[in-house]
Amino acid sequence: MLLSAEGLARRFGYRSIFKNIGFSLNSGDALVLVGPNGAGKTTLLRVLAGLLRPSAGEVKRNVSVGLVSHNSMLYDALTAEENMRFAARLHGTVSNGRIETLLDRLGMLRWRDERVGTFSRGMTQRLAIARALLGSPKVLLLDEPLSGLDDPGTEVVREVIVEHMAGDGGLIVVTHQFERLSAVATHVGYLVGGGLQGPSTMDGLSADSVMQRYRSLLADG
Amino acid sequence: MTPKDAALRLARRGQIVTILALVGLVGVYVRAIVYTPTEASQGLAQKIFYIHAPVAIMALGAFLVTGLLSLVYLWLKDLKIDRAAASSAEVGVVFSVIMLTTGPIWGKPIWGTWWSWDARLTFTLFLFLMFVSYLVMRGSVLDPEQRARFSAVFGILGLVLVPFIHLTVYMFRTLHPDPVVIKPSGPSMPAAMTQTFLLSIGVFVVLYVGYVMQRHALAHLEALHEEEALGDS
Amino acid sequence: MASFMRVVTAIVAKDLLVEWRTKTAIVASLVFAILVLAILYFARDPTEVSSFAVAPGALWVTFTFAAMVGMNRAFFLERENRALDGMLLTDISRSAIFVGKMTANLLFVFMVELITIPLFVLFFNVSVLARLPALLLVVAMATLAFVAVGTLLSSMVVRTRFAELMLPVLLLPFLIPPIVGAVQITARLLHDRPLTEMMGWLKLLGSFDIAFVTLAILLYEVTLDE
Repeated sequence: MLLSAEGLARRFGYRSIFKNIGFSLNSGDALVLVGPNGAGKTTLLRVLAGLLRPSAGEVKRNVSVGLVSHNSMLYDALTAEENMRFAARLHGTVSNGRIETLLDRLGMLRWRDERVGTFSRGMTQRLAIARALLGSPKVLLLDEPLSGLDDPGTEVVREVIVEHMAGDGGLIVVTHQFERLSAVATHVGYLVGGGLQGPSTMDGLSADSVMQRYRSLLADG
Repeated sequence: MTPKDAALRLARRGQIVTILALVGLVGVYVRAIVYTPTEASQGLAQKIFYIHAPVAIMALGAFLVTGLLSLVYLWLKDLKIDRAAASSAEVGVVFSVIMLTTGPIWGKPIWGTWWSWDARLTFTLFLFLMFVSYLVMRGSVLDPEQRARFSAVFGILGLVLVPFIHLTVYMFRTLHPDPVVIKPSGPSMPAAMTQTFLLSIGVFVVLYVGYVMQRHALAHLEALHEEEALGDS
Repeated sequence: MASFMRVVTAIVAKDLLVEWRTKTAIVASLVFAILVLAILYFARDPTEVSSFAVAPGALWVTFTFAAMVGMNRAFFLERENRALDGMLLTDISRSAIFVGKMTANLLFVFMVELITIPLFVLFFNVSVLARLPALLLVVAMATLAFVAVGTLLSSMVVRTRFAELMLPVLLLPFLIPPIVGAVQITARLLHDRPLTEMMGWLKLLGSFDIAFVTLAILLYEVTLDE
């Protein structure tokens, strides 16, 4: 088992963002969590990544975790390569070759000497993914990874996800657009009303049925 | 008993303690004005000393309590402790202001100026500013847990700062000797004055406790109210 | 230990590189320092007060104000794209992050100070050459004091609503011991007094440094949410 959550809750002051979230993630699991904006998807990922302490419950991380959020966590004034080098130095065990390989894999090699501040949303996203992969994490947490990406960008990210899963990794993606990631999902969960419905496996479920279930859960309120 | 009832009970008890202390204060003052000998050189103005000095001691005490509670909060992580620390700080602010206003009122007839950079006045001024900074910072942080953590850090920093401020003011003052200040220091006071002084300190300790009890209860009620208004059903 | 130093140097190098690219904070701090110094020269009645008399105070007020203007830079940078999260996600020591940020701030403030000192000599017509090593020692010790506390406070304050205003308000009480000490020592240095006459103040500065650098490093982790 790569990562598990039990009874997870997070409050802001006295307002509950979510509670009673529990599941476990094994090798080869790609869990897609569907939820509307403001449902606490980003906060949940940050708790799972260890950036936030849960107000209740616990997260067990047995492997290293990488996070790609809608904040790039990059320095606008530095180039793509400089950002990668800095992150690599923090990890300490990353070779120069790996930086090049990752930049190439995410199609960012030709912008290696351009400042991140000049990048489009799609380019920033791809660099953020490259950075997250530097530490060779076994679990990837992705927050709306395809938002703002054009078709080639989306293809690259999908390929990276497939490669990651092929390496016995685990994946948790939060999104409000399930269709775009339905192909990679092995499990689906619904983050609605401050709680988690599921997760259930994707066996026998189509993308349409997932969206139907999601819409009906939203309507219930 | 619900938390709300417990808080209300604490507030009522705090009110009783405060009233007792205020009655005690009147008593101390009657004793100070009527029964305690008047200091020869300063005359009636010296009587303000029986408020001025104890309130300064309590202001420092309130600060130390806030600092120590900050340490305890970091250890126990109970928001109640943070609220108690903040209550102590608020009472401390008030006591500092009393000291800083009674000081000049006493000083003007004796030194001829409203403000002299007397060591204790200066020290209390800085204490006052630190209290205010602490409370201003609390006002700018919305999340109660983050506010508690930040307050605890600031409280501990302030606790360690206090001896340095004292030392700095003392070392600075010894460069420039005071103008002739006639101030009764503890041991050389005649017995009657010392007794009144100690009595006054006792009364102010009780007053401090009473105010903190009420403030703490109020803070608890505020927290309960917020929880009801925003919390999960 | 090796990984601690690796992280610290990585952060310092990155901060300096970002500053070198943008140059905004250093230029702003320098301009500010020069303006404050000049204003303090004029803020007196020249028939009553010699520039020599106000020089030590002017120097240290200038240093602290310029430092306060510049210190928020350290953590504002990390808020830009949530870059601090990126650092926290790698398993590095939180104290290393703080020491890295504090060191970067130290170098930044030192740079402003080193450029300001010759201007100080020029504007106030004082001579420091004879006691330069001692002056630099005092500058180092006092700067360490307010940068350590200032870095810690700025890490909290950048997450509140009025960061630029909050930092001076919170930091000023902590400036009193180091500034008073630094001014007293600087005044004596300008009068070319022997170091033995300043031992009390030097000890105050030294113990303040030890106490608050340690405390700041220990307390940083508390300010994080994890």
